[in-house]
Amino acid sequence: MNGSIGIIVAISLFGVGTLGLILRRDLVIKLLALGLVNTSAILCLLSLDSQATSAPPLLVPAYTQQMIDPLPQALVLSAIVINFAILALALVFVMRIVEQYHTLDPQRVEHEVEEERR
Amino acid sequence: MNRSIRRSLYITSIFALVGAFCAIVWHGFTYAGAGSASVQRWIETATLLGTRNVVSSIYLGTRFLDSVLELLVFAVAVLGVRHFLDETAPGSTAEPPDPSSESHVVSAAARLMLPIVVLLGLYLAVHGHLSPGGGFSGGVVAASGLLMAAIAIGSAPVSRRLAPPTALERIEWSAMLLILALVVAPVAISLPPFSPLLPAGTVGRLASGGNVLPYNLLIAIKVFIGSWTVVQQFLRHRGGI
Repeated sequence: MNGSIGIIVAISLFGVGTLGLILRRDLVIKLLALGLVNTSAILCLLSLDSQATSAPPLLVPAYTQQMIDPLPQALVLSAIVINFAILALALVFVMRIVEQYHTLDPQRVEHEVEEERR
Repeated sequence: MNRSIRRSLYITSIFALVGAFCAIVWHGFTYAGAGSASVQRWIETATLLGTRNVVSSIYLGTRFLDSVLELLVFAVAVLGVRHFLDETAPGSTAEPPDPSSESHVVSAAARLMLPIVVLLGLYLAVHGHLSPGGGFSGGVVAASGLLMAAIAIGSAPVSRRLAPPTALERIEWSAMLLILALVVAPVAISLPPFSPLLPAGTVGRLASGGNVLPYNLLIAIKVFIGSWTVVQQFLRHRGGI
């Protein structure tokens, strides 16, 4: 895939994810949107040096072309693992919120918390 | 402020941010890319370390501190999931119904595929320094094999066949401690921490790459048990599968 197409797709995904994060009131959808933003960051990092003619980052004599930069791929690994960890932990918190307040709407949760305080 | 005005302000500001990001990417940022001096440096590092996979020589070699911290973040997340889901409401922890009777074809296929998927995960971890793969991907592949079996034949039978949860937790943390011990061990022989203890060997052989092979195996164990714990806790809590 051509690198600039990947960057354009990454930027669009980032926009869609951020919009979902801000505008949707469902906590699970918000988490999915957060995952989308994270995926866009991964796609952007991978697309920076992506060219159809480059060789993969392996020291194999069969590849005669110039090697792609391996650093973004190493960074992406951390991003994927941390995304998984954050999503798993955030889903647990959402489950706890649903158990306690029986809603996925953060505004209604806030309202319930205020009611409890009074 | 009116809700529609607020919403349009949000949308405008997001598109302004995205536009600024585009401008930075296209005009203010130059990327060296393939064939640059930095790529040559990474190739030299991989050759010194004895790994054929240049990416693994970065995240298990020069930037291993990043990977250790990343593993700690992962371990804390798994601990959090285990802790918060163990405190579930009474009644919701009841064993879910065994779905194995639903389709014999699916359960037979899952039983057949499980050892192959776990073996593939092990291969990815062991061969991580020679070909695409590594401990993280190997661990996740093996855990997804267990997830497949849990969906097909139920999570309770799968976890019964594995070691008990406390033993799994012990193995997981022992793997983490062994990684930390391997990181600190060179200090005992007056070398800086993170230095490889094992020889680099011949590039392309299985016994090469210094510490990369043991690191990959330990990371695979850690990620496999951690991912399975997360998945199993979710399945148990929901009681659906």
